[in-house]
Amino acid sequence: MSVLQAAAPVLAAAEGGEGGGLDWTYPILPHPGEVIVGLVAFGVLYWVIAKKVVPLFEAAYAQRKDAIQGGIERAERAQAEAQAALEEYRTQLADARAEAARIREEARSEGAKIIAEMRDRASAEAERITESASRQVEAERQAAVTSLRTELGGLATQLAGRIVGEALTDSARQSRIVERFLTELEQSSPEDVRASATTAEPTTSATSAGPSSGGAHRVP
Amino acid sequence: MPYVLASAGFTPPGPSSFWHPLIGDGAFAVTRSMFVVVATVIIIGLVMTMTAKRLQLVPTKGQFAVESLYNIARNQIGVDFIGEARLRPFLPLLVSLFLFILLNNLAGIIPFVQFPSMSRFGYVVVLTLIVYVVYHYVGLKKKGFGGYFRGFLPPGVPIWLVPVVYPLELLTYFVTRPLTLSLRLFANMFAGHTLLLVFALGGEYLLLHSGNIFLQATSVASFAMFIAMTFFELLIQFLQAYIFVLLTAYYIADAMAEEH
Amino acid sequence: MDGSLNVIGYGLAAIGPAIGVGLIFAAYINGVARQPEARGLLQPIAILGFALAEALAILGFVLAFIL
Repeated sequence: MSVLQAAAPVLAAAEGGEGGGLDWTYPILPHPGEVIVGLVAFGVLYWVIAKKVVPLFEAAYAQRKDAIQGGIERAERAQAEAQAALEEYRTQLADARAEAARIREEARSEGAKIIAEMRDRASAEAERITESASRQVEAERQAAVTSLRTELGGLATQLAGRIVGEALTDSARQSRIVERFLTELEQSSPEDVRASATTAEPTTSATSAGPSSGGAHRVP
Repeated sequence: MPYVLASAGFTPPGPSSFWHPLIGDGAFAVTRSMFVVVATVIIIGLVMTMTAKRLQLVPTKGQFAVESLYNIARNQIGVDFIGEARLRPFLPLLVSLFLFILLNNLAGIIPFVQFPSMSRFGYVVVLTLIVYVVYHYVGLKKKGFGGYFRGFLPPGVPIWLVPVVYPLELLTYFVTRPLTLSLRLFANMFAGHTLLLVFALGGEYLLLHSGNIFLQATSVASFAMFIAMTFFELLIQFLQAYIFVLLTAYYIADAMAEEH
Repeated sequence: MDGSLNVIGYGLAAIGPAIGVGLIFAAYINGVARQPEARGLLQPIAILGFALAEALAILGFVLAFIL
């Protein structure tokens, strides 16, 4: 540049000699007035840009960058939170499922226990009823035996009288008499028994039917 | 003048087309380009300060346009070459250089202004001198006198080549760089505007002064070329502003670089 | 006539840088076509190379006026 600058005025002066002084149409020759104006104008512009424009722009850019980065961070945090909440819900759900299964299991075993208990109680009841029925039957039987025993004396006396009254010719006849007596006794005994124990007989029939019907009703 | 062709009646545009003294004459005449320069400084200053005062987080259309211009100087050039960490002190220089050169170049095709002030060498010299001083100052401040001058030598040069390479490097740093930086911008604007003038004045001459119907018809082609070249100029004007700032950033980064 | 001879000289001098600029942008287009994501990285380098090659043509242009 220095070479050109040094050469230019000389050349220009040589060529533009007819106009007198320097020829300002010469392209490579910096015009002093324009250099001064350029220097001042660019200086002013630089000052304005450096003081009033660039700091504000840089601040705005920093702010924008901050906003964008902050936004990203916020979004990341929200996502992490959502993830944590989801995890929590999942564990809670699993817990609830396990709890429900446990409760169901418990109810089932409880039900089974109740059924078994009921069954036990029902069978115990049935046993108890059977027991009391058989005891009653035993008592009836005892009563029947007792009454029979008291009747048996009379009956024996009656039989003996008959035997004595009849002529005892042969043993065949004798056995026939005994046979007839026994059949007579057999035919008459129900009426006799009923006649002797009218109060005991209905209870006997009721208790014999009782265990089967009463137990069947209770068990289910 | 040797460069003005004196053909029959038509004076082709030449360097004299760029000399427009409006007030006075000589070394301190007030020229047409001065008005352009002052107007661009006022426009840039007003637009930028107005935008900077109401910057919003979410940009409006106007703010977005200004921001994209600002970002060309800041991100595409500054961050790429100098690096974000060391950019801040040079950012005003890059931004103001870019806007100043861009708007002054564009003045070449803005209707009724139509004068690229960078086709006057004086302004380019001023800008180049500023860049020249800045990058040498930065290098000297960063590395010291000895370090800076040692840093001119590219690494890995054989010792016997140093006497050849070192003067060439010195020439690059002190002569070639400012020379090409200033001449590139100036000559592009100068040549581009001359090209436009050739088509515009040629078309005008053919249309008005040729006096021949066939030659008058060819003026249409000349004006069409003028319009096409105007769009081409738009590209060149933007590109030259970009290149000037890019090279400025490159020189500054190179002066600060640890190794060549 | 010497003025026009200068311009012819400049025209000849512009051939070299023109080829250089062409090669630079051809390489840039190739690079971007092969690896579109490298565009942002390649663009400043391509323009830097273009500027350096263009400088020679500019010197020729200026010399055409000076000499």
